[in-house]
Amino acid sequence: MLVYPQLATGALSQFPVRKTRRQRTIVNLAADGRSVKLADPAGATAEWQLQYTGLSDAELAALQQFFAAAEGSLNGFTFLDPASNLFAWSDRLDNAAWQKGPLLSATPGVADPTGGANAWQLSNTGGAQSVSQTLPVPGGYVYCLSVYARSAQSTTMTLLRGSDRADRVLGTNWARITFAGSGPVDATSLLFGVEMPGAATVEVYGMQVEPQPAPSVYRATATGGVYENARFRDDGLSVTTTDVNRHSATVNILYVNHL
Amino acid sequence: MPSFPKLKTNAVAQYPAARTTRYHNQVLRFADGTEQRYRDSAGPLHRWEVRLDALDEGEIAALEEFFSACQGRFASFAFTDPWDGTQYPDCSLASDELDMTSLAEMQGRTSLAVIENRV
Repeated sequence: MLVYPQLATGALSQFPVRKTRRQRTIVNLAADGRSVKLADPAGATAEWQLQYTGLSDAELAALQQFFAAAEGSLNGFTFLDPASNLFAWSDRLDNAAWQKGPLLSATPGVADPTGGANAWQLSNTGGAQSVSQTLPVPGGYVYCLSVYARSAQSTTMTLLRGSDRADRVLGTNWARITFAGSGPVDATSLLFGVEMPGAATVEVYGMQVEPQPAPSVYRATATGGVYENARFRDDGLSVTTTDVNRHSATVNILYVNHL
Repeated sequence: MPSFPKLKTNAVAQYPAARTTRYHNQVLRFADGTEQRYRDSAGPLHRWEVRLDALDEGEIAALEEFFSACQGRFASFAFTDPWDGTQYPDCSLASDELDMTSLAEMQGRTSLAVIENRV
């Protein structure tokens, strides 16, 4: 599986990042100003422009090797959107995208730490139960899993990344708990989620996975940020060397639904 | 029906913001130079240009999700005019393209236009 490389810092891009979403709508405009519209969901595209500066020799070599492996725009690869949450339906824990333990009940509409009502109450009536997603992402990358959580009783929550686990103690106030690191290098998919001990009730909000070592502001998503079969937009990769061990380049990546 | 996302400040737009009211009239000019004008539509339509700056990642993600939920200019939604609070029940995005730039952390920038549809 070809996967767009991370930098040595564990980040996938630098600022500025430009992202363009395009949809295709057929519009038939009548003389009186009314219109008839037809959507074309398969025509949706997403494009990223990643501008790199100060790349080291090793980082540039990794980028060039990846570009050669993809043969420019010829071959598709997996791209993890640096401007998105990799989870799909992050505010909808009742969506089918989530794998939920059978004895875990999820109640929506709980007040969240940002003043909304998008948090969930998770009640566990059995043994240890989890809510998770398995994402088609490379195991060896650096990820940061984060979630806001609190509990009326003293309890712990376990953050899951593949077979790696991290216990975090929950308090009565909202706190963002995180778990950063990488999984098995040879894995082609990874499970991310949280696990609750038996007979516990917790409130959670803002489940997020990012391909970087530290969490950024929570982003609610529906589609998630994993794009399989993305491509380089161009067949050329221009690099400018600005100093010893310092390079800059701009990369354009395209994801087209129907390709 | 999706609803237009609000910023964390509870606003939907920032300065500079533009609003356009457009009538659709026809003019017939006669050989003697006089002309006759008539309305060619039921009333004016509005358009709002929403330029947003210094957005955090959550705000810009909410706009992106809204754009995807609307499928660009396909879907209709109710839009509340930020000038006078009037709600226009049938509006849509004016473009099938949404361009978002993150200049730095919590420095997202985008713009979109909302148009009122003829019902």
